[in-house]
Amino acid sequence: MKYAVIKKEDLNKWFEYLKKKARLYAPKKKENLYVFRPVKEVSEICLDYIPTVLPPKKYYFPQKEKLLKFSVQPFKTAKAIEEFEEFILLAVHTCDIAGIQCMDVVFRDGPEDPNYLNRKEKMTIIGIECLKYCDDKANCASMANHVPRGGYDLMMVDIDEKFILHINSEKGERLVKGVAYIKEASDKDMACLEHAREEKKKIFKEEFKASLSEVYESFDNNFNAKVWEDVGRRCVACGNCTAVCPTCYCFDVLDDMDLSLNEGLRYRIWNSCQMDDFAKVAGGEDFRKGRDLRQRHRYYRKFKYPVDKFNRYFCTGCGRCTRTCMAKISLIETVNALVEENAVSKKNTATAA
Amino acid sequence: MKKHSKPKVAFFDFTDCEGCQLQFANMGSALLELTELVDIVNFREIMSEAGEDYEVAFIEGSITTDNDVKRIKRIREKAKAIISLGACATIGGVNGIKNRSPLELAKQRVYGDKADTVNTIKTMPVHEVVKVDYFINGCPVYIPEVISVVKCVLMGKPYIVPNYAVCVECKMNENVCRYEKDQECLGPVTRAGCNSWCINYGNKCYGCRGLVDNPASAGQKDILLKYGITLDDILQRFTLYNDSMGEKYDKDLKQ
Ligand code: SF4
Ligand code: SF4
Ligand code: SF4
Ligand code: SF4
Ligand code: SF4
Repeated sequence: MKYAVIKKEDLNKWFEYLKKKARLYAPKKKENLYVFRPVKEVSEICLDYIPTVLPPKKYYFPQKEKLLKFSVQPFKTAKAIEEFEEFILLAVHTCDIAGIQCMDVVFRDGPEDPNYLNRKEKMTIIGIECLKYCDDKANCASMANHVPRGGYDLMMVDIDEKFILHINSEKGERLVKGVAYIKEASDKDMACLEHAREEKKKIFKEEFKASLSEVYESFDNNFNAKVWEDVGRRCVACGNCTAVCPTCYCFDVLDDMDLSLNEGLRYRIWNSCQMDDFAKVAGGEDFRKGRDLRQRHRYYRKFKYPVDKFNRYFCTGCGRCTRTCMAKISLIETVNALVEENAVSKKNTATAA
Repeated sequence: MKKHSKPKVAFFDFTDCEGCQLQFANMGSALLELTELVDIVNFREIMSEAGEDYEVAFIEGSITTDNDVKRIKRIREKAKAIISLGACATIGGVNGIKNRSPLELAKQRVYGDKADTVNTIKTMPVHEVVKVDYFINGCPVYIPEVISVVKCVLMGKPYIVPNYAVCVECKMNENVCRYEKDQECLGPVTRAGCNSWCINYGNKCYGCRGLVDNPASAGQKDILLKYGITLDDILQRFTLYNDSMGEKYDKDLKQ
């Protein structure tokens, strides 16, 4: 079975079933926004939500994560976490699944990251496809992440009274197999899916004013573009845009002794290029002193460096950085401004030649 | 590891509300664990006998009289380590408001016709008078940070006060940002270390830990202006706890 269907009225029953299989995390309302949380009551699960404050990365790359236990006398080290628990991420948008794929590339690149890999192994991803935009901050169509492109175990698509479930792995299959109310999708269901996808094409349009390859070219050719001055002047270096980004993976490592002063834990904790001291080195030299240079770096880490290194864009299009910025710095506007500068500089070179 | 001999610790207060010392008294079981590690010899709020023999001195409060200057210098001579405790000691605190007007005027306002009998000087954080080894910012101090600092003192390691914004911790706690709810907040320019204490409880950040080394004054000003806050109010927010920086921000913000 590759495609299954579940009636909407049976969803909560299925969610209860999932909850018994493993720890279940799903989106839930928090004030006027949404967050992923462990599911206590299935009635709290929100399937219709805009991207959560933090992406689900907090479950495979936690904000503060134990790496190692140690004692000083006698000197000993041991694993900080003996066993990682099975968990299911429910209702993950396709943009956030792209985020997981990016992290996967980074943490599998040698030297492999054991903590991430241990968690990833225990993770089951149930996606949900957006059939309309979350809001106007998203740029997922430009990044081609508005549609499922793998990286999940199951994908849910709303077809009115039912959800289609695309079964994409054995792990996923185990969660639908033998469940009486989940049936194989009929030809009619598949036609509904086709129809939903056709309708979706009318809604989702590339949000950048240029193709992705032109965007790449704009980054490649205009390292000293003016747009960074403006962004740098407005940015307050709060670090929100990097914290909420599903593909930011920088961390710091610190040792914390307990009160015995003999035993302690080594942690890693999120860190980011937007912090003032991030690029300071011994001797006090700072090779990204201004907020303009730091913001530029953040964008290059999405649209240029990872493309060169991993052949992958590291912006998923989730729009979180724009949503969270109190200085109202918009990723779409910034990229478009850069594209324009590129067009002008190309024209100038052409006339000069 | 060889057992540490318990260092003797004393608390002294200068110009302040004693709220930070009260935080110690509020520690509960952590305080008992701490007393396993250190000997508290002078702590008016939780014990009566006063010891005069100490190695580590916690200083609460800012320096505001000639007598304070003499007293803190005597403590410095005796203590191996001095720890500034709380906003008043680390950055001047609310007492710094005094520095906004000429000293004579401030005296007149507060003491009226008794002004002449009062000895007072401008408000100073402790490190403006003597060398300070450790800083615990905040109004009041945040207990988990206090414990981290005490551990550093015992291990003879420096404690690095964070130089990034409260927002960094706030986002890790996945709070809904005040700005998302059309309220303003000083988190983007305020030094972290309190684990975004106030926002976690539904309040906003008032900047009690002082501003980061290099706050984005211009950017923050633009944001606050959009919230209908006047330039004077912005300046007051920036300097509520840290008036010793008043002139700098005055210049930064008004350019
Ligand atoms: S969220 Fe906005 S203000 Fe904060 S660091 Fe990012 S760009 Fe700068
Ligand atoms: S750069 Fe912004 S839009 Fe792109 S993945 Fe990160 S948070 Fe989302
Ligand atoms: S950014 Fe696109 S894929 Fe992500 S939630 Fe919004 S509409 Fe869905
Ligand atoms: S609530 Fe305040 S501290 Fe938290 S992210 Fe928003 S501005 Fe920063
Ligand atoms: S959130 Fe702001 S006001 Fe509250 S304790 Fe932290 S620094 Fe002080």
